[in-house]
Amino acid sequence: MSVKTLKYEAKGAQTLLREVMDKSGQNLLACYQCRRCAAGCPVGEETGVTPDRLIRMILLGDRGEALSNLLVWKCVACYTCGTRCPNNIQTARITETLKQMSKKEHLEPLRPRIADFHNAFMKATGHMGRFNEIEGMGIYEAKTALKELKKGNVGAVIDEMMNQAKLGMTMMKKKRMHFKVDKVKNKAEVKALYRKAKPGKGA
Amino acid sequence: MEMAYYPGCSLHASSELYDIQCKMVFRNLGIELREIPDWNCCGATAAAKTDDFLAIALPARNLGIADATGLSEIVIPCSSCYSRTLVSQQRLSCDLKLKESINAELGRKVEGNIKVSNILEVLKPRVASGEIAEKARKKLEGLKPACYYGCLLTRFPCDVPVTDDVENPQGMEIICRSLGAEPVDWSYKTDCCGASASVNDAEQSLLLMSRIMKDAEARGANCFVTTCPLCQFNVDAYQEQVAQKYGLGKRLPVYFITELIGIAMGFDAVEMQVDRHFVDAMGLLKELKLI
Repeated sequence: MSVKTLKYEAKGAQTLLREVMDKSGQNLLACYQCRRCAAGCPVGEETGVTPDRLIRMILLGDRGEALSNLLVWKCVACYTCGTRCPNNIQTARITETLKQMSKKEHLEPLRPRIADFHNAFMKATGHMGRFNEIEGMGIYEAKTALKELKKGNVGAVIDEMMNQAKLGMTMMKKKRMHFKVDKVKNKAEVKALYRKAKPGKGA
Repeated sequence: MEMAYYPGCSLHASSELYDIQCKMVFRNLGIELREIPDWNCCGATAAAKTDDFLAIALPARNLGIADATGLSEIVIPCSSCYSRTLVSQQRLSCDLKLKESINAELGRKVEGNIKVSNILEVLKPRVASGEIAEKARKKLEGLKPACYYGCLLTRFPCDVPVTDDVENPQGMEIICRSLGAEPVDWSYKTDCCGASASVNDAEQSLLLMSRIMKDAEARGANCFVTTCPLCQFNVDAYQEQVAQKYGLGKRLPVYFITELIGIAMGFDAVEMQVDRHFVDAMGLLKELKLI
């Protein structure tokens, strides 16, 4: 994968750095680019952006690239980067922060399926207080299918349905599919936490 | 003795077998697992990725419930639930303002007293004390597991006490050896299977899993053993797809650690639900005359 040249934005650099440091609780200034994180990153080869490079983007103030790059979306939260960092920087906390910032600024996710999955997970959890696999997967698949259909990708929808149906059938055979709805009795308490997370919006 | 228990959503659904096995094995060791009442989802990685407040607040509600039981320890078999709960407890111990804000919404407030343990933390000392050996009825001879820890048992997004070696954990090997199995030495024991990427970024997840499976095979393992329901599900359910795409010689069953202990304890394999795996997990046990 080719590496993009980063832009230095003298004006925005300080603001972006402050914002990411405050929200993630990580001291990005401690990074001396040793790239131990890069060596351990399991998705670095595919994203072309490794944690060290992400930190560099932020330090240089390249806001556009920092908020919208493949590492932010494809990071699997394995926490290898942070564990190996000699300066105790948890880059995974930085990708989490950037993802939330990107959502707040209504940027189009580079990997909509990943964004939709996490949103579906949180929606299902907020609904019942527990994550019901059928409900969560249902919300996710419906959303994904709708997006693909809007783009006219009927083939992609059929492929996805076939794949999921195949997995579902095997799960049924192995008695790994669960149909009983699992829920919290005191849902009000869970919903109150959701409200506190996003004032003005219900769960 | 009694121990508080948080199964989490997986153990109530696709990994119900793990829930059943945990209860059987722990009971035989004299530990009664008390499922904490009305627990909620820990938020898993989705909360961490999308909402900093909920990532702490969701496990916090469970911690409040757990503290209210008055028990001193809670065991959480799922690595993701364990990690999120431990991280929440740690964060609340140093962010009193956040703790107050979350507690304001909760009937049972977080005190922060209960010790949050993963499953190996509870089992390992019982190998040392001889309790597990005492209950074992047969030796797991011929079983060569690749002990697969995945990410969240030893790596955390903040400073918490880590209960095993971060790069080369040994908890499962210690248990397996004490039961007569011969765990293989291999390089991918703490590598990531992709977790939910198997659903939303399948190509990536299959690639990650192919590395794990190929190394286990090359090292002469005849099965995997794990403690994490998501690792178990991925490596088990997607093994055939990985084999088709990347080429694998053999299919290796993926056991939960509780299955191996249970088999050694002489429990019935079907009662323990060993027949609910994607890659056949009964055949190897029969072949080795363990069942």
